[in-house]
Amino acid sequence: MSRDSAPSRIRCGVDIGGTFTDIVFLDGRDNVHTCKVSSTPDDYSCAIVAGITTLLRRIGEQPAAIELVVHATTVATNTILEHKGARTALLTTQGFRDVLEMRRLRIPVMYDLQYEKPRPLAPRRFVFEVPERLGPRGEVWQPLDEAAVRGIATKLRQTGIQAVAICFLHAYMNGAHEQRVAEILRAELDAGVFITASSDILPEIREYERASTAVVNAYVGPIVHHYLSRLESALAAAGVAAPLSIMHSGGGVMSALAAMVRPAAIVESGPAAGVIAAARVARQAGLANAISFDMGGTTAKAAIIEGGEPAKTTEYEVGAGINLSSRLVKGGGYPIKLPFIDVSEIGAGGGSLIKVDANGVPKVGPESAGAAPGPVCYGLGGEQPTLTDALLVLGYLNPGYLVGGALAIDRDRAAEALQRHVAVPLGKPLLEAAHGVYQIAAATMTRAVKAVTTYRGRDPRDFVLIAFGGNGPVVAVEIARALQIARVLVPLAPGVFSALGLLLSDPEHEFVQTVFGRVGSLEASDIAAAYARLEQEARQALVAEGLDPAAVAVARAADMRYSGQAYEIAVPVPSGAIDLAAMARRFGDEHERTYGHRSDSDSVDLVSIRALARATRGERPTPRQTQSGEPREPASRLVYFGDGLGARETTVLPRVALAGRVLEGPLIIEEYDATCVVPPGATARLDGDGNIDISVGGSA
Amino acid sequence: MSLAIDPITFEVIQNALASVADEMALVIMRTAYSPVVRDTMDYSTALCDREGRVVAQGLTLAVQLGAFPDIMRCVRRDFGTDLGAGDVLIANDPYGSGGQHLPDIYIIKPIFIGGRLEGFAATMAHHSDVGGLTPGSVAIHATEIHQEGLRLPLVKLYEGGRECTTVLRIIAANTRTPVQVLGDLRAQLAACAVAERGLVQLVARYGAEALAGYFDALHDHAERIMRAEIAAVPDGVYRFTDYIDGVGETPTPLAIAVTVTVSGDSVGIDFTGSAGQIPAGINCPIAMVNSACYCAIRSIASRAIPNCEGYMRPVTVTAPAGTLVNPLFPAACGARGVIAYRVFDAIMGALAQVIPEKVMAAGEGGPSLFSIGGTERGRPFVLTEVMVGSWGARAGRDGLEGVSNPAANLSNQPVELIEAELPLKIARYGLVPDTGGPGRFRGGLAFDREFHILAAEALFTVRADRRDHPPYGLAGGGSGSPSVNHLIRGGVDRALPTMPMEGFILRKGDVFLHHAAGGGGFGDPFRREPGRVLEDVLDEKVTLAHAAAAYGVVIDPVSLTVDEAATRRRRAGTAAAAD
Repeated sequence: MSRDSAPSRIRCGVDIGGTFTDIVFLDGRDNVHTCKVSSTPDDYSCAIVAGITTLLRRIGEQPAAIELVVHATTVATNTILEHKGARTALLTTQGFRDVLEMRRLRIPVMYDLQYEKPRPLAPRRFVFEVPERLGPRGEVWQPLDEAAVRGIATKLRQTGIQAVAICFLHAYMNGAHEQRVAEILRAELDAGVFITASSDILPEIREYERASTAVVNAYVGPIVHHYLSRLESALAAAGVAAPLSIMHSGGGVMSALAAMVRPAAIVESGPAAGVIAAARVARQAGLANAISFDMGGTTAKAAIIEGGEPAKTTEYEVGAGINLSSRLVKGGGYPIKLPFIDVSEIGAGGGSLIKVDANGVPKVGPESAGAAPGPVCYGLGGEQPTLTDALLVLGYLNPGYLVGGALAIDRDRAAEALQRHVAVPLGKPLLEAAHGVYQIAAATMTRAVKAVTTYRGRDPRDFVLIAFGGNGPVVAVEIARALQIARVLVPLAPGVFSALGLLLSDPEHEFVQTVFGRVGSLEASDIAAAYARLEQEARQALVAEGLDPAAVAVARAADMRYSGQAYEIAVPVPSGAIDLAAMARRFGDEHERTYGHRSDSDSVDLVSIRALARATRGERPTPRQTQSGEPREPASRLVYFGDGLGARETTVLPRVALAGRVLEGPLIIEEYDATCVVPPGATARLDGDGNIDISVGGSA
Repeated sequence: MSLAIDPITFEVIQNALASVADEMALVIMRTAYSPVVRDTMDYSTALCDREGRVVAQGLTLAVQLGAFPDIMRCVRRDFGTDLGAGDVLIANDPYGSGGQHLPDIYIIKPIFIGGRLEGFAATMAHHSDVGGLTPGSVAIHATEIHQEGLRLPLVKLYEGGRECTTVLRIIAANTRTPVQVLGDLRAQLAACAVAERGLVQLVARYGAEALAGYFDALHDHAERIMRAEIAAVPDGVYRFTDYIDGVGETPTPLAIAVTVTVSGDSVGIDFTGSAGQIPAGINCPIAMVNSACYCAIRSIASRAIPNCEGYMRPVTVTAPAGTLVNPLFPAACGARGVIAYRVFDAIMGALAQVIPEKVMAAGEGGPSLFSIGGTERGRPFVLTEVMVGSWGARAGRDGLEGVSNPAANLSNQPVELIEAELPLKIARYGLVPDTGGPGRFRGGLAFDREFHILAAEALFTVRADRRDHPPYGLAGGGSGSPSVNHLIRGGVDRALPTMPMEGFILRKGDVFLHHAAGGGGFGDPFRREPGRVLEDVLDEKVTLAHAAAAYGVVIDPVSLTVDEAATRRRRAGTAAAAD
């Protein structure tokens, strides 16, 4: 543990999960300190303050030493999943009261006549039509009826509405009507009523997606506002004067104040953090392309990093459940069309339940045993075997304890449950059945990786797999082999890697504006002016958070498509003069790369422009983990590697024992918070940053 | 599970197949040019085994997914050994090539691995225009297929990897929208490439013979599940007749008569007694009728079934030649979809007699279809809209509204995109109160959509239905409201036929207003919980007057609470009056 008398500048990351709150410190000497405390759902700030206090005491520092608190929170997501948001109204253009209820019509299931669709977050009784109408160029077809708006305000007051979203047709081209309505409502309603105009949160074409985004923002607004205000005061009361920042779904951080205005931007803050950390590892390892692979207790998540940056998307539905096909089969949740790191998620994790169905086909997940009762081996009452039980029986996990000895486990119990529920119904020996389950889980997780690679025209063989989460390094090589990926990296502290990502991300804001037109008919000077306005807006958002204007860099992008297509591809737009023809060519290249074809004779639409402002804090050296990897005596155990390889006596060693050596599998590398499996045929070494660097090898 | 089949490998292969099918569908959705493909998702994708049997499908359009077997049979028949690596076939002809109607163009790529045919990639997309009488190529007033546009029998679009530009040039010359059609064909070809890559990987991993064994097992597996589901339905003969309103100003109703015979673990569906084919573009080629039957039977299953062809085996379809459901050449069929949706409804109606808890009352009747096209500032434009929206009620559940028809997982097109691209204004799109069939469980509300023409002139066609034969209710539930088409010109409102035998010239300022039909109700409306009626009133889905008249629920107009006593009286009084 590093202690010295130099003034400490501690960055503090706070990641709240359903069961535990993870606190991570990165001190002035780039040492990492971690602490896990039980979450306090009644008031999450209690656990946060308790964790920070404990960790400060442990390293002998004062609250004033903390210079920054970065928080990933599930409060926005949970508000939606539990339907506990504000009493929310929506104001629409006359004739479009049902924009939310009509959705895009598609549903995520087929051949299911008993389907129920998600309830609108603003029920029809709270949706009001406003006499006004704009045309597609923002021209006024019908002026705003302000008297009617005042009449609606009276009804909103009477019904006790707590939040209002305003979404008028074509407001992405002209927000004046929405802004005027917001102004009237602010004057007429209580100060505490949360108001979102769609032209503020998402000035982008497509009325349902924009309305949905605005309604989600309004629905979670008062709750997020209350939560963050309370956390800020609790931190202040504990002597932590550092500003509070929130991780947003795009992988940057924003001030708590900005998050209170745009809470829809923070729904996927947790998953984004792991990808940011993986991108950092990739950059430091000199890798342009990497796949971030995170496997925890209930799900596995994959994302790609290209040119050192995570790939992003603006298509996301909150509350849609875990569904890999969600890219195709939509409609199960509430769309938010804001920047998200493009993470595909699938319901396969350590806690995934294993069943053999009535047709004799074995299935892994998506149901999970969760934290309670948990896997059978925990002895907490779980009877249905889970993937963790199979991994244990195979010898991949330590038969004596999990999580660095914190949890005693019962291998025999796991074996007995697997035997009864899986091996017997399949008519297979126990180890073969357990290995089969492992292969099915790996195949399922492989789909998550394909969803972000092959589905987007990327060849996984061009990528290095960065595996983390408690179980990621157990299955990583199997997945790499299925996709012919040659190399796997397992970073330091894989179990708290996501929380670490919080401390590695930069303040960032992305703004979008629909401009819509054919490239041939647009004026470069108009587009340049639109970019200038947008860049200024993005820059200003960071300066308003107190960041040094000199440290702010703005990157531009454009959403383009062939005229007639429904989906755009975002292409980077270099700084300097706007060259529309070059933008169209760049789009053609990207279209060909993603979908395998292009057509230079077809006209190209520029749909929206984007500006991403980022304040770089500068890369710091690789953090050092202080708690894991205590040298342990090398040991060995019998581990089963499937058909043909059978059970092998396998060396079990800590990460540090790899230093300066290249070892051939089979190997098991055990550390405090994760286990890494290096099967026969693969070789492992440590790279200069302390990552386990695995050459996958050919044998499967 | 057969002994040679390892259940674990089986599950892993199923996973890989699902992934290939998803990816194929995704590529088309992302890259297609025409709104009807990209937004309404009127297309299908499949990976087939070496026999041409579907082993995996992208989940797009349920009512069409069962249509691949017909065209694949034609491929095997016409090109048995005359296929090589790098060949791609194209077809749309329902007569002799297994097509459905001319806008649905199939692109089929045989996949050769190591010189041997190992499977097929198959895609179908509804193209924006293939010529014919009206923009969009779905004119109801076509009396024979020759008026409907370009017929493509199965021909090679690529041979040995070389593009047959002749075929492409013929297609480009025969459509009003060549850029969209060629763009969509490229999207289909890209999806075929995805399937090829996926199958190559599977063969490399498992070997061609072993893989073929697993494909057989997959078909058998799907068949077993479907048979078990059918076996759970009591044996018997169940009949139902639903109707299409008919075409033109003075329509004659057209019967879709179905006899469903459940016998052990198989089911026969016989259309004897259905109306004969007519000289209008609504005759439905057998490929789509088969598909609608598979879809209906599959929808009553409570277990998940793999998306392969095996599940179709227990279902036998009999459709007399020369009828609406199995027309003979040269019957016109551009707007044939309406028949397929009615086939689905008729089968539901028959099965409701024995398994009411598993079916639903009739929904809106399938998509209404509008095409508006013309020229604006020298540029041609075509809008094809396929609009759906309401389910019938189910035992224990209200019908959904604002949702796709269960047989067609379609999407709507954003109003803003339509207005930004086309000389049209959409003045209204939403739900209509009191239109859901009353019942203990209410049918889904109807939607309406109102178009204003901003172009100087446009040619317009519409296909709707269920004006004279509104969606039926079940178990005492009432019908949904009927559909209506209005053409408003200079303040004069003219009701159009549901299936007019003509195209209309619209002029600037004209308004077309479509009310779709509402879903049918389920159960006695007087047994609906008054609290649920109140909720509907609060959401203004049901008016106070309708609550009293249809549900016997009296709600105080000021306090908006249920007047329990008055409700009891009203329900008892009407019930007594009915006795």
